[in-house]
Amino acid sequence: MKHSFIALIEDKCTSCMLCVRECPAWCINLDSHTVEVTEEGARRPKKVNVLDSFDIDYSLCMYCGVCIDVCPFDALAWDEHRALTSTNREDMILSIADLRPSGSS
Amino acid sequence: MNRVFTWQQVAPDQWRNKISELIDSGFFYFDFLTGVDRENIDGQADCEVVAHLAKPDLSDSRIIFTQVKSELASIADLAPASSWYERECAEMYGITFTGGDTSPLLRHEGLGRPPLRKSAVLAARVLTPWPGGAEPEIREDGRKVGNVSRRRQRPPGVPENWLSP
Repeated sequence: MKHSFIALIEDKCTSCMLCVRECPAWCINLDSHTVEVTEEGARRPKKVNVLDSFDIDYSLCMYCGVCIDVCPFDALAWDEHRALTSTNREDMILSIADLRPSGSS
Repeated sequence: MNRVFTWQQVAPDQWRNKISELIDSGFFYFDFLTGVDRENIDGQADCEVVAHLAKPDLSDSRIIFTQVKSELASIADLAPASSWYERECAEMYGITFTGGDTSPLLRHEGLGRPPLRKSAVLAARVLTPWPGGAEPEIREDGRKVGNVSRRRQRPPGVPENWLSP
């Protein structure tokens, strides 16, 4: 496995913010909101975090992999995408759709 | 080449003796000297000074370290190569090497805390908004109705009173 890209497996992410807080480069931005879900048979509705946006700023990322290590749900993983190049900084910020692991559509 | 590094601690007042003893016994290749901020070791010391000396064919080497408050005798006369490292260490960790070259390497005088000490606050960390401070919001129909509030989070390396000046 090449360590050339950090991919987000969106379904596994619980918006717990651990990666955002542990990132030494402060390159991850995460936005989420909470909804109450009532499951059948449950006494009380439970609060669930819904991921709204997840951005990695690859102009700041130093590929240390701390976010991958701290993620308790394995929602972040090394991937074989190529490293990015761009002529402007905005293009270096990748969101959920760009962060999908290679092989998934 | 796999070499096992031998670490040895010495008292600060034995620092020069130990170095000269090592140099006399063939470890006269001076590799490096650096500091490690340990932040208050038993109320006695703040920093470790670490030096690596080796035999010139690199067949054997010794790493010796000592715990100091802020002063240590210079070994620049015993191992001239250490002079540059001592100046660097003095600038970055604020350790005074008595009897050595005290001219600054990079920093101007009066620039606050030595930058590699843990007590030195990075101003950029205070001025940049921390993405980790966000908490999930409770929304209804896209409207924010509340915060899932926990203890207010603080970014690592930023002291408490810096967030609300």
